[in-house]
Amino acid sequence: MTQLILFVILLSLGYFFGRHAEKKHYKSILEREEHWLQLPTTSSKYVTKGDRVIGRCHLVNGSMVVSVDYFKRILAKLRNFFGGNIQSYESLIDRARREAVLRMKESCPEADQVINLRLETSSITKGRGKQIGSVEVLAYGTAIYFRK
Amino acid sequence: MKYIPSLPGRNDNVSHDQPVREFVLLFAGITFVLLVVFWTLGLFVDKAIDYISPEMEATIFVSVDASVSKSVDDNDPRQEELQRMIDALRKCIRIDYPLKVHLINSDEANALAFPGGRIFVFSGLLDKVLSENGLSFILAHELAHFKNRDHLRGMGRGIVFTAAAALMSGAGSDLTQLFAPTANFSQAQYSQKRENMADQQALQVLSCYYGHVGGATEFFEAMKPDNKKSNLVGHYFSSHPEAVKRINNLHKLTSDLNLAIEEVLILPAILNSQN
Repeated sequence: MTQLILFVILLSLGYFFGRHAEKKHYKSILEREEHWLQLPTTSSKYVTKGDRVIGRCHLVNGSMVVSVDYFKRILAKLRNFFGGNIQSYESLIDRARREAVLRMKESCPEADQVINLRLETSSITKGRGKQIGSVEVLAYGTAIYFRK
Repeated sequence: MKYIPSLPGRNDNVSHDQPVREFVLLFAGITFVLLVVFWTLGLFVDKAIDYISPEMEATIFVSVDASVSKSVDDNDPRQEELQRMIDALRKCIRIDYPLKVHLINSDEANALAFPGGRIFVFSGLLDKVLSENGLSFILAHELAHFKNRDHLRGMGRGIVFTAAAALMSGAGSDLTQLFAPTANFSQAQYSQKRENMADQQALQVLSCYYGHVGGATEFFEAMKPDNKKSNLVGHYFSSHPEAVKRINNLHKLTSDLNLAIEEVLILPAILNSQN
């Protein structure tokens, strides 16, 4: 009985704190995405304004490690029985991807463009999934500075 | 090609369903599946028990050492007296294989049927009963468990349920905690049914041995104050029907079966710890 109560407490803590953190994070993501719209970012190999001369370029990257809350993990485990979309993980990965891109952009505020954007995901708790489940999303690309 | 920076109007990568709703649906579905699985497994256990004779049971469990650190010496006069009572009572329920009583020094007031024809009596029980008839009722109740093979059924269910829950959730997983109430509930419900059955048979043994059923409820009367803590949840999850309910049930059975209630016999002096 005690174990069950503890379990329910963990579950609701996970739910409420997780939800609060997610709301806050999405708010920040939306604001920053709006702000960084001024820095064009594409997955293209070539710059979009081909007539301008490139002054310099360098590699930029941004990453985020994201972990699941207790509620989401249990929900995903329950989902394992019947199969289907693991919806509880979707928003988590979405947040990690967008945050990684934003961090990448924030690392080169002076750049004119970021091209060749790539995203990579890696599970950093492979084989130890029972303790913690977390993934890293890495965004990298080439920052371009046009000659003035 | 012109690059026009823009943000997507809505997020298609994320489902917008209510997670709590999903949780409740999945949990209810799994609980239902588990209840069906446990019920079916229970039937298999019952079927398997039919193939285990008391001799076979004794052979299987002979290797399980019944001696507990607090058990009394084998020639303790109290244990010998209890053994004498068991041997006399078991003729009334037609158990023709030997049963061995083990008396254990403990404050706990309880007795239990253990596989391999062994009955454990905790000495706290001797303080709670007031008469020989009261003690006989408890012993007869355990005899009824042997007669119905409830000790094997309980053990078999315990093993099978634990294995099934562990298989489905992965041993040591958080989910096992989520499944435990379902398993406990299935087992407790079944167990309560068997306890009521054993109570009824114990009444009949008492009536056969003494000619009346006086003293049958005295142990539960003595246990009543301890039951104050019980609540609705505890009730459904407890395997022994609560004392008051059992007393009422026994009274009902007594009148239904037309059994007489007469003067009780005093507890044999050797078992009477108040002396």
